Amino acid sequence: MNYNIFCYIIYSIITIYIIIWVGKLFHRNGRVFIVKLFNDNSSLADTTNNIILVAYYLFNIGYAVIQFSFWEQVTNAGQLISSVSNKTGILILILAATHYCNIFIIYTLSKKSTFITSKTS
Amino acid sequence: MKNLIVTAYLVYLPIVMLLTYYVAHQLFKNSIVYMKDIFNGREEIAKATNTLFKIGFYLMNLGFALYILKITAEKINTQGAIEILSMKVGGFSIYLGVMLFLNMYLFFRGKRVAREKDWWPRFPIKLSSFVIILIWS
Repeated sequence: MNYNIFCYIIYSIITIYIIIWVGKLFHRNGRVFIVKLFNDNSSLADTTNNIILVAYYLFNIGYAVIQFSFWEQVTNAGQLISSVSNKTGILILILAATHYCNIFIIYTLSKKSTFITSKTS
Repeated sequence: MKNLIVTAYLVYLPIVMLLTYYVAHQLFKNSIVYMKDIFNGREEIAKATNTLFKIGFYLMNLGFALYILKITAEKINTQGAIEILSMKVGGFSIYLGVMLFLNMYLFFRGKRVAREKDWWPRFPIKLSSFVIILIWS
């Protein structure tokens, strides 16, 4: 039995499940901020939100699948667990880093927009 | 020998996940109060921000926990396995504590910024209108 193929199957199930679940949560909870940024134009905000979600899926699932070609040779069960968790950990850390970047971007954008609206009104 | 490493992994994973779940649950159950304070009682946006921070917390900590799982020692006995596990779990728990304080710092900072924003723009407007009224009269 080839351990590497086992690894790929477990890894892809875990990561794709995490990516889709987290994407859904971001999509639902980030909507408020995008609506606020688009000045309550909710149809425009929803379409933008959907496009961002698709881009997120493409980038992350693409990254997860590319990892197959950089996998070490796995020979036993311990190495299986450690390599899968190592790769999953890197992917989740990247997700976390981009997530905090996004929070920061939303924060600066909202600060700017409230500044503009308070100036014009 | 191989089995001991696998056993160590299988002990490590549930401990780490339960620890992360417990800390995140406690932190974000209580942080909704700060969020409501920051966003002036706007329920929807406070809840959304709280959930976003919660997801970020989970991602960062579980990612780090999975990243440091690998045991590099070649030969291992029961005592060595327990020592390695203690090192990893203890280190991770200290890391969790640091992250907890970082998130609390973010909440307090948000609270301070919200208070300044609330107070600061009104002051010059009032002052300028006062000056205009003085000139007119």
